[in-house]
Amino acid sequence: MYRAFLLLAIPLLAGAQYTDTSQSRWVEPAEKDTLPSFDDFDNFLGKLGVIQASGPVDTAGHPFFTPLGTNGRACVTCHQPTYGMSVSAEGLRNRWRTSSGKDPVFAAFDGSNCPNLPQGQEKSHSLLLDRGLFRIPLPWPPRHPDGSPKPVEFSIEVVRDPTGCNLSPVYGLKSAQPTISVYRRPRPAANLKYVLSGAQNIVLKTGTLADRDPETGKPVSMNLMADAREPSLAAQALNAILGHEEAHEAPSRKQLKDIVDYESQIYAAQVEHIFAGPLVDRGGPFGLGPAALRDRHPGVLGDNEYEQVFGNFDSWKGSDFYRASIARGANIFMFRQFWLRDAAHINSIGLGNPIKRTCATCHNAQMTGQDLSAGWVDVGTTNYPTWTEPDTWAETAELPVFKITCRPDADPHPYLGRVIYTTDPGRALISGRCVDVGSIVMQQLRSLAARPPYFVNGSAKNLREVVDFYDRRFEMRLSDSEKEDLVNFLGAL
Amino acid sequence: MRLGYFACLFAASIAMAQERNFVACPIVRDTKTVPCYLAEYEGKLYFLGIQQDITAAFHPPQLKHQVLVEGQASEGPLVCGGIPLKPLSISVIKDVNPACNTLLPAEPGIDAPPAARGAGPASHPLTLSAAPTESLSGRQDFTILYAFNDDYVEFASIATVQKAAAYATKIRASAVNVMGYRGTTVLSNEERLIEKPELAERRAQAIATLLRGSGVTGVTADWKKEPEPGDGKTDPSRRRVTITVIP
Repeated sequence: MYRAFLLLAIPLLAGAQYTDTSQSRWVEPAEKDTLPSFDDFDNFLGKLGVIQASGPVDTAGHPFFTPLGTNGRACVTCHQPTYGMSVSAEGLRNRWRTSSGKDPVFAAFDGSNCPNLPQGQEKSHSLLLDRGLFRIPLPWPPRHPDGSPKPVEFSIEVVRDPTGCNLSPVYGLKSAQPTISVYRRPRPAANLKYVLSGAQNIVLKTGTLADRDPETGKPVSMNLMADAREPSLAAQALNAILGHEEAHEAPSRKQLKDIVDYESQIYAAQVEHIFAGPLVDRGGPFGLGPAALRDRHPGVLGDNEYEQVFGNFDSWKGSDFYRASIARGANIFMFRQFWLRDAAHINSIGLGNPIKRTCATCHNAQMTGQDLSAGWVDVGTTNYPTWTEPDTWAETAELPVFKITCRPDADPHPYLGRVIYTTDPGRALISGRCVDVGSIVMQQLRSLAARPPYFVNGSAKNLREVVDFYDRRFEMRLSDSEKEDLVNFLGAL
Repeated sequence: MRLGYFACLFAASIAMAQERNFVACPIVRDTKTVPCYLAEYEGKLYFLGIQQDITAAFHPPQLKHQVLVEGQASEGPLVCGGIPLKPLSISVIKDVNPACNTLLPAEPGIDAPPAARGAGPASHPLTLSAAPTESLSGRQDFTILYAFNDDYVEFASIATVQKAAAYATKIRASAVNVMGYRGTTVLSNEERLIEKPELAERRAQAIATLLRGSGVTGVTADWKKEPEPGDGKTDPSRRRVTITVIP
């Protein structure tokens, strides 16, 4: 329906700067349309498939597609089917061009680097346009649900502020309402039964009680959002409407229920590889395509030989060149051993440092590759010295840098100690704990081809840069062809 | 009688001589299978354990940190090139020490003991459920042990808390008393290490919170302010929280 023509000339070369070739179908808020049960959308690696398991959806009046706040945005603004229910930086740049920067997605509140910047200028939205990052303003210190401040184990200083927001007397850390602004990618509103599964009363990684769903009183997975700050889809939707949509009053319970019901039945995954062809066929790996996501059960541990994270790719090993490449990539993901070291909430929870393991040790949840346990981990993307950013004072620095100083009586960060420089303290902005500085909840590894750039800070422009980061960070010593196999594998998910 | 007295003294000195309580940088040795974790003390290399999964009783030490080793040297052949210690307790010293960074390559002839799980994906499911409570009756004590200066509730201890909670719920306990302690460790060089003053309270409060959050009512928490004494032999057993479930 919304298909674009395929540009077969796209090079699938190592390190190539991928270009989004889709004739992007941008669903406008308040648009009247019927979204079908299945749709597919072109992207640089083939086609994404999106299933609405409950059947066709009329967008007219539906609260997911209707602006409920004051800035013209709806949920769909940042969770577009074309982009795997997230949004890509290229899609945002296209939107800037076609709307002359007037689209509600560029709202000053969080669609610009800081609300006090001149909103008509492209550079005021550089983090959104270049990296797909929205501003996430978080109160400091963090608050309990009743509004009382949580105890915190560290002080925080702003040592670099390229956006001007963290030092702003109106929006910053020393404003009347002290706020830390971090900049993060929106996560896909799809395949959510997997994201919400695996809830345990006691969180394995911390030995503390899991957060509770305020509606049901039951423990939650704590795998929702980059910092697990919202316990449920309803809570996330409520705060997104009050925040991202700038609503002055809360949506009705019926509206929240409709949003949650809608999000809970969407499944998105790649269905076609630009060269390997259709990815879903009889006898192939069980985990590919959105129908598999719809049909399989969540909460299954996939870090094992007998029921692997995305299925067994052996039948593709002798297949055509690209299927064989995808299969080799899957094999590296599951079986290639390397030294996993200095990753807080992996090495520090009793496994040892270092451990000799594989990608699937951490990306262990079947079908999504998240962590089945509450999955915040400091893999090193946001904390100095392994961060993805240039030196703190480099002219090219785009993200704020914070200095975290831990109290002497607090447990320090397990590998960085008591003074940490970070572009995003991650979970620590919610927990107030030093051990959590830089820890980010793992994302699902689905629909990746539809939604570059990657990592919480949008620092990897393409999948090759993701693989390069891990290769560098954990000294995996991957060859160029192995990296390309991993790129093809990740792009097939 | 006198002979017996001397025999006891001799046995005690032998036992003391076998204690190996020390703080050192851990050493990681790669092997054909899983890595071994070792530590050196007074010129001798001691075997601490191997990489396993989180359900194992042994939680390996960490590079970038010193490790407190509390064990007894045991007879028998070297394991992974080190003298085995049994029983053994290890504690990761929290402050970062970049000097602890020795990773030895695999060497021919030095193998890790058989591992329940290799370095790749698991070949069998993890056991995550709490132990059954059918065989329990009457007043019961459950003990949570801790690493030195730590209040982290490890995987095995979570199962103990869950077992205590299940039992208290099952018998509709009239009271559940949580008591926290902090300990003293006597090193082989006679140095004494005492845990942080607030730790007994933190341990007790954390366990009480877990029990209440597991639906247990009537939970009270108390803690002993003074550290438990150390003897250089059984010190790990006194870094603890006890949960007493009263019918």
